Amino acid sequence: MPRVVRPGLRKELFANPIDGLVSVLLITGVGAAGYGLIHWAFGQAQWVVIQANSTLFAVGRYPIGQQWRLWLLVALLAAATGLSWGALRGLPQRDRPIRAVWPRNDRIAAIVLVALCCWAPAALGLAWPIQARWWGLTALLLVLRWLAGRYASRLGKVATLGLPLIWPLLYLVGMVLIGGGLGLVTVGANEWGGLLLTLIEASFAILLSAPLGVVLALGRSSSLPLLRWGSIAYIEFIRGAPLITLLFLGQNILGFLLPGGLAPDRIWRAAWILTFFSAAYLAEAVRAGLAAVPRGQLEAARSLGLNLPQALSRVVLPQALRIALPATVGQFISLLQDTTLLSLIGLLDLLGTARSVMANPLYLGKSAEVYLTLAVLFWCCCAALGLGSRALERRLNPPSLGR
Amino acid sequence: MTAAAMVPTSPAMIEARGVEKWYPNGFHALRGVDLTVQRGEVVVIMGPSGSGKSTFIRTFNALEEFQKGSITVDGIALNDDLRQIDAIRREVGMVFQQFNLFPHLSVLDNLTLAPVLVRKRSKGDVLNQAMALLERVGIAEQAHKFPGQLSGGQQQRVAIARSLCMEPRILLFDEPTSSLDPEMVREVLEVMQGLAADGMTMVVVTHEVGFARQVADRVVLMADGQVVEEATPERFFDHPQHERSRQFLSQIL
Repeated sequence: MPRVVRPGLRKELFANPIDGLVSVLLITGVGAAGYGLIHWAFGQAQWVVIQANSTLFAVGRYPIGQQWRLWLLVALLAAATGLSWGALRGLPQRDRPIRAVWPRNDRIAAIVLVALCCWAPAALGLAWPIQARWWGLTALLLVLRWLAGRYASRLGKVATLGLPLIWPLLYLVGMVLIGGGLGLVTVGANEWGGLLLTLIEASFAILLSAPLGVVLALGRSSSLPLLRWGSIAYIEFIRGAPLITLLFLGQNILGFLLPGGLAPDRIWRAAWILTFFSAAYLAEAVRAGLAAVPRGQLEAARSLGLNLPQALSRVVLPQALRIALPATVGQFISLLQDTTLLSLIGLLDLLGTARSVMANPLYLGKSAEVYLTLAVLFWCCCAALGLGSRALERRLNPPSLGR
Repeated sequence: MTAAAMVPTSPAMIEARGVEKWYPNGFHALRGVDLTVQRGEVVVIMGPSGSGKSTFIRTFNALEEFQKGSITVDGIALNDDLRQIDAIRREVGMVFQQFNLFPHLSVLDNLTLAPVLVRKRSKGDVLNQAMALLERVGIAEQAHKFPGQLSGGQQQRVAIARSLCMEPRILLFDEPTSSLDPEMVREVLEVMQGLAADGMTMVVVTHEVGFARQVADRVVLMADGQVVEEATPERFFDHPQHERSRQFLSQIL
């Protein structure tokens, strides 16, 4: 394997006078903006608006006496994240050039995580026991990440097949913990808020829109006219309408469309609309993946005697979904960001909560602090999704000659 | 397998009568083709590109539909009944020009997928057979690699082994060496020659004259969707009867 020769930084940035000029201008600009931001963030900004409302931003008006359930859920999430992360590290990476981006990114992500979890609770001035909880959670995640990384290759199939199943399962457990039932006190959806509500809406839509998108993509490529036209009509209608109109429409008509009980209140109506919306875009991503799988793959599978469902599930879809993975995760990331539109239909998601806080005369003129915090929170979620998907992609690519 | 398939009504492995096919764009690809392939026979189909030879053999396992005529494979009539089509596909192996190995599965998994899923055989049982087949085509040491890590000739030999793992009664080859580099053609042809020597029934679409001369029991020349000439290799290559055959041979020899 030839070593990748990297020219020095100086050669890259100042190869000739024009490059040098551009570099100097850019460095000055970025430096000035960065200095301004840091100067503001640590000098003028008044973070008391975040400190005083941190619980509100995190979970909205979730009853204080029941918040232990959320802590338990966060602990489970940390454990699942640690296991998945570690397993991804431990699995053989199939198409990695010698100097890969991921191991470095992976370590940087771990360091950023530790720094955030140790620093943020202290900076927010949270009580000691709560700070200690965050440190404990971080430690749990890192220990499991290390353990799973060590033993993933030995677990083999259990790791590759079992871990993806943890997440839907965890979703069900999470919904019981959040909403109550099975002996737990019920906490109604109208009491959820903040980041909690944002994540509930986004994960519900992600989990349900993925299978729905695959079905729609298969429907659109089907040879049965009714199925094909139905799928095309659905996809084109949804893609042709702005999400915000669909959300308003959904608040009014979804009650008629879904069987009673499935869409009882505004929060679940919004979640269904996000799901239906996202599924149409996912269908297009999956369709592109299906189109990229050579026709000969289906023919070879059928000529070996596999029936259509077998050929699709064992031969065509595994390849199509791998090809569609980057676009799919891109769609998930925009879905997460689209949840902010829920504040416009009056839901107290992260942005909705923020707007209600900023409406408080006590915090007048503190919107920069609030919006910056929101941006950082969203960025963390999206960065995690992006990093995870890129790592997954690298491990799903089949090896080929010369790698 | 159905009882009908076990007790063939016709002694021939493939019986095609007056097969006609139109593509959706109106192109008349097959214009009444007849062909009979006996058990254990090796039939080579040649012809200029666009003559319908690939389309024709792809009708044998229903990868292509046809509109008129009849095809019987191992006593099972090909019609729109999906169960009949599945029954025929289990008995008919096919090797493609582009190999069509499953790139996301290892070589071994390529071989075992269909026997386990379709024949419901145990994985351990199939694994032994798969290793023996890889041994036979000379690539047992590559069993745990992925198709993308193999050369074209190796991939095509894996594809042949994959078909054999279903224990088919007949193997169809659709230009199996046409997309190979010249130095890899021979290793694939040698495997095919070995199969023919073992008595496998084969229909081969190819331009390999050497292979046709040595291995084929009969050579069929197709042109414009019709069979022009059908003869033993000696007669076909040395004394072609039809003007169209002479013209074709003068171009490839």
